[in-house]
Amino acid sequence: MILRRRRPHAFEHDGDRTAIRLGDDERSMLANLAGQFRAVVADDADPDLRRLYPTAYPDDPEHDADYSGLVHDDLVRTRVAAADTVVATASAVSLDADQLAAWMQVLNGLRLLLGTRLDVSEEDEFDPEADDAPTRALLSWLGFILEEAVVAASADLGDA
Amino acid sequence: MSPTPSPLEVDETGLDPDEVVDADRPWIVLVWNDPINLMSYVSHVFQKLFGYSKAKADRLMLDVHEKGRAVVSNGARENAEMDVFRLHEHGLWATMQRDD
Repeated sequence: MILRRRRPHAFEHDGDRTAIRLGDDERSMLANLAGQFRAVVADDADPDLRRLYPTAYPDDPEHDADYSGLVHDDLVRTRVAAADTVVATASAVSLDADQLAAWMQVLNGLRLLLGTRLDVSEEDEFDPEADDAPTRALLSWLGFILEEAVVAASADLGDA
Repeated sequence: MSPTPSPLEVDETGLDPDEVVDADRPWIVLVWNDPINLMSYVSHVFQKLFGYSKAKADRLMLDVHEKGRAVVSNGARENAEMDVFRLHEHGLWATMQRDD
């Protein structure tokens, strides 16, 4: 896991809604990424998706096959629906609690996909000269937005 | 880590031996450390899914981070499997096994 430091808020919780405080560039970037995420998840063939579908019974392949057969399509469906929500609300003024949860699911799903593709570890240092620096910067930016979404959503849990 | 079933006595009750074991040893749900999930997000998911206080969720999250894993819930197999599913839905690395 990664510990992130707080920066100015990307969301502002207000009553039962959460206002989005992102710029137009950031919003279109997110919509674009959510669209790409949707396509990869719906296609369901990229091995870098594996962190999104973990093994439930690591020592019991038979039970695990049953579990996977039972839930895999549901997991695909909820992720596709969440990505659709992000695309549809990327330019919105504010989000309701379900939409905010969808944003978090997609932000985290994108991080799992990109982080797996980058083969990141907890000890990684950012090297701006590295070939994968742009993707690592993107991963970090998604982490910033997600962290902010967690702060906003925690207000719904009554502990902010 | 392996949930190896212990040899069962010959059962004369007519009950399914698996069910007897289930009753005696519930299932535990484990969450494992990974290098991608944010600490704040993991704690948030524990609060949201299990209704844990922020203090308890943070403690479990730190256990995952520092010890590599933590038991986040336990119970009958169906309940444990539902917890695993909801954790997977939220992108956490969760597994389940019998409590030894």
